[in-house]
Amino acid sequence: MTLLADKDDRFKNLFGKAALFVLLAVLGMGLVFFWTGMKKGAFTPKSPIYFVADTGLDLKEGIPVKFSGFKIGKLTSLALDEQGHVQVEIEIETKHLVLLRQDSVVSLKKEGVIGDGVLDISRGSEDKPVLVGGSKVLFERANGLEQAVMEVKGRVMPIIDDVHKILSDPDGDVRQTLKNVRQLTAEINGLASEMRGTRQKIDQVLVSVDKNLNNEVGPLLHSLRQSAVQAETITTKLNQDLPGLLNKVDSSMENLRKTTETINKSVQQTVPQLPGMVGETRETMGKTREMMGSTIEVVNGLSTMWPLKGSVPVPEKGPVRMDSHD
Amino acid sequence: MTNAIYKIWLLTVLFTVTACGSSTPPPREPQLLEKLHAAEKDARHALNGGELQRAQHSFNKALILQQSLDDTAGAATTMINLATVAHQLHEDEAALAWLDKILLERAPLYPADSQLTAAFRKAVILTNLGRFGEADTSLQLAEKSCEKKCSQRFNIDTLRARIFLLNGNAETALALAQIVGKAVEAGKEEQANALRVQAGAEEKLQRYADALTHYQSALEMDKPLGLSSRIAEDLNGLARTAKLLGREQDAAAYARRASLVNETKDKSVLSAHE
Repeated sequence: MTLLADKDDRFKNLFGKAALFVLLAVLGMGLVFFWTGMKKGAFTPKSPIYFVADTGLDLKEGIPVKFSGFKIGKLTSLALDEQGHVQVEIEIETKHLVLLRQDSVVSLKKEGVIGDGVLDISRGSEDKPVLVGGSKVLFERANGLEQAVMEVKGRVMPIIDDVHKILSDPDGDVRQTLKNVRQLTAEINGLASEMRGTRQKIDQVLVSVDKNLNNEVGPLLHSLRQSAVQAETITTKLNQDLPGLLNKVDSSMENLRKTTETINKSVQQTVPQLPGMVGETRETMGKTREMMGSTIEVVNGLSTMWPLKGSVPVPEKGPVRMDSHD
Repeated sequence: MTNAIYKIWLLTVLFTVTACGSSTPPPREPQLLEKLHAAEKDARHALNGGELQRAQHSFNKALILQQSLDDTAGAATTMINLATVAHQLHEDEAALAWLDKILLERAPLYPADSQLTAAFRKAVILTNLGRFGEADTSLQLAEKSCEKKCSQRFNIDTLRARIFLLNGNAETALALAQIVGKAVEAGKEEQANALRVQAGAEEKLQRYADALTHYQSALEMDKPLGLSSRIAEDLNGLARTAKLLGREQDAAAYARRASLVNETKDKSVLSAHE
């Protein structure tokens, strides 16, 4: 006998109704899980593929495997073997295996310059058999930022050293050439005075030459005088321009020497700190981008507001300055 | 007393708030125009700071935006600016190519003012390159576009005098430079340039005392303008003429001053913008 009799019709089959409600809820949840799983590819048949990496750096479970930009699988496990190598297992959707060949290569790349890592698998040669589950493929690391910097350092440093040596060496070709030009300038200085003298002498001869002889010798002397005037003009111009030119070369060379020294020091100091810096930079760049976006919006907004509008400088108009001596 | 100050303060606040409230904010410019003005502003700012590469990049950006908005007058100005920046970067062939884009355009796209400026600047660059014949042709084109009262007539005359001097025609150069040197409306920079040409012509004509005076006048004008390279040119001229006048000690002092200016002028541009 029940303690309280369910006389209300609505309480009839209450257990059955509650059970049906719970069942429907569980079924609904199950369907959602199933749908999500299907969407995520949990029920898609997958085949394991293996490769060996020299280090587990930047490799972690869950990073996607992509083929032609599409995700076709993911990294499922990492294990260290007896030789200290990293045994890596990836799972690729079986339906996509037909696209890959036995000599396909898996490479670790970065999405963007400092983005997350992805495993990119190449198609392989057409003449090779199709890749099957359980096969082993080759692995390589594509150049990340750190590696790229190290590579650039390796290439640039010898060049900078060479330039530095060339500029610093007093017996080097560059310094010797400049020395020769300086000697030439001194000689041109003398030549200019000499040419002036020559021209003056010709002038005197032209005045004093006999009138009878003038018809024959005159044109010759005039032509000689013209050549002397031209030579004088050239030597005077060289005499005027060369010191300035030499000063410019001197200052440029000094600047170049200092620049190579600075680059050398900066590269030496910066490169060892790079691996740590890159991680921090990724995070900072994201935040900075966000901040910049907001700041530009705020500044643009402020610049159009009544009280501030007048104080924001209006961009200048017209061509930038240049006169007859620039 | 305190009460009166409080009332004035309250009134001021009320007035400000009313003014703010009554003024409707002006509408924002369309996105492309905003970007164009930002690029132009950045280019000029970079140019003032001596950052030529950045200026070049921003002017290029501005040019694309102007061309996409059919702003031909603005595009012409930007092309002239790009040529000027290229010239400052010692990329003279690129500078000439930019100016030719305006000068060789067959359709009447660009304003006469821009064509005049382009022709004049082309003549300046060609003169610096020693291509006097081509410079003369370009300068003639500028002269043709310049009416009697055009703003660049003194620049054109000074450049004409300079070309005469470089071609060895010191007498004509002197006559022309003297006119500009005395014209106040030419502006200080061009007056100083004219005085330098005048001094150069007098130096060539062996009137060393006059040359010394005019180099000195050019120097006095160039110093307040803060133009290091011109100051160095003036000092070099003074050194040469002082030597020719037999004033060896003065010549040595001028030469030393010129060399100090030359040594430090590049550093001064950098330190001025630190």
